[in-house]
Amino acid sequence: MLPSYYEFFNPVKILSGKNALDNLPYELEQLGAKRPIIVTDKGVIKAGLIQVVKSAFDSSGMVIGAIYDDVPPDSSSDVVNQIVAVYRENGCDAIVAVGGGSPIDTAKGVNIVLSENSDDLMKFEGADRLKAPMKPFIVIPTTAGTGSEVTLAAVIKNTAKNVKMAFASHLLFPKIAILDPRMTTTMPPHITAMTGMDALAHSMEAYTCLQKNPLSDAYATAAIKLIAQYLPKAVENGKDMEARMAMANAATMAGAAFSNSMVGMVHSLGHATGAICHIPHGLAMSIFLPFGLEYNLPKTEAMVAELLLPLGGEAEYVKVAAGQRAARTIVLVRKFQQTLFDLCGLPRTLKEAGVPKNKLEEIAKTAINDGTLSFNPEELDLNDALNVLNEAYS
Amino acid sequence: MGKKYGPIKSGVKWFKILVAKIVFFVLGRAFQSATKHDPDIKKEISVWREGFVLIMRVLPNGPRMVLEKLNGRLKYRGAKYDDGDLVISFKNIECAFLVLTPQVGAAQAFAERRMTVKGDLGNAMIFTRCLTILLGHLYPQFICRRLVKRVAPMPLKKQMIKLVINVVGIPFGL
Repeated sequence: MLPSYYEFFNPVKILSGKNALDNLPYELEQLGAKRPIIVTDKGVIKAGLIQVVKSAFDSSGMVIGAIYDDVPPDSSSDVVNQIVAVYRENGCDAIVAVGGGSPIDTAKGVNIVLSENSDDLMKFEGADRLKAPMKPFIVIPTTAGTGSEVTLAAVIKNTAKNVKMAFASHLLFPKIAILDPRMTTTMPPHITAMTGMDALAHSMEAYTCLQKNPLSDAYATAAIKLIAQYLPKAVENGKDMEARMAMANAATMAGAAFSNSMVGMVHSLGHATGAICHIPHGLAMSIFLPFGLEYNLPKTEAMVAELLLPLGGEAEYVKVAAGQRAARTIVLVRKFQQTLFDLCGLPRTLKEAGVPKNKLEEIAKTAINDGTLSFNPEELDLNDALNVLNEAYS
Repeated sequence: MGKKYGPIKSGVKWFKILVAKIVFFVLGRAFQSATKHDPDIKKEISVWREGFVLIMRVLPNGPRMVLEKLNGRLKYRGAKYDDGDLVISFKNIECAFLVLTPQVGAAQAFAERRMTVKGDLGNAMIFTRCLTILLGHLYPQFICRRLVKRVAPMPLKKQMIKLVINVVGIPFGL
């Protein structure tokens, strides 16, 4: 059924495929840039991925203005300000983010401060607060999960207040995302598994949350199909270029889907658990996904039933009776979790993830104030959240 | 002489503006009263600092409802302030009309991007929960079912609060 009204926006040019990175200088030049800053983290440096990026500039005549490689996993306004200073000192004219969610979100924050010609990122917290045209901004993801390369949002910690601030604006979209399988082959199995589950959660929540629409549905189901087929392969053999490419595409499509239809309680609970117990976001998504699907079932049964086709394939879909398909989808998600546990030990419960039971109440209290809960199809109050957390515990 | 071209001034949707003003007044007074009489709403807003200002407005320069936390409860302040700690804006008068009349629930309107939020999203979630409770006091259950995700039960105590809000809260601000 069509929603009575929806909006969909995805202006990011995607370059996807073997050696896609080689087009980076050309694309920068097309954007009018000559001296980009590269924003990345130590993990990217350690994995040798920055060499791949640097070599893309060889024989291009272009100068890399600076490489900032100190983005921490939990980025902050202080880091943003440092990068802005480096950008200005070195006369840079574009931003290239290389990494997972943290370098990408940080680069978005840098773009806000630079483009708005401000010195205070926090003035722009919230939705639709940006007015100025942004600097040329290209993203090269090194994980396949966050979808940040095609989203309009960034989450950055306010150092002074020690709270995470959310920024959302259609101006924050990168101009270009480059999906080059070479950039994800060094990801270890458990990171591959949890970031892949993040993409699965994005697509499944995008398909079932309040602002689902025909365009986001198309992206979401295409992503689920790829994840179901390729995530175990990518975990099993990191050098499998086809699996890496498929997962990079799946994560990007899932990002485009959820950026428009938004996500719900799986993310509310995941954000809260991450904030309080510091477990990785993808892991939290993996644990909460079946519980979120189950909880929302009274409102979303028909949608979850439809997801059996991309997740289980045609044979499975035809085999299962119509009234059983939603339940079967959830069973398959749990089987998927088990496969990843068997392959790389990805925790299936909060207990296995090391979340202390005495933190569940605090997590529940935080989760019900998370903005993503607005888009959840079913109401979730404090008691409901606590019940779900207890179920997910062991 | 050819056809003349020139600027066209936009019209004004007086009726819908008037409806929005009236509903904002009723909603503002209802909030003022509910924060005094309903313990659930009182508890929700207890985390807001004294002087916290919440604004619901229609863009670009339409009607608005200003609520300010004074002495532990929300006070309806008409259109006193332009800016606040939490500002919820309807993108246009038609969006506001849909929500305020009430044809569409706040969560659905937010999901459809008919409204934008400035300020801490955690506070917006608190406001949404308060609004859900308040709608239960203002409308019969069959309307509430269309506006909120789950209609809360109305025990006798809540029925009494509903009566107080509607009989003395909205007309007299008590």
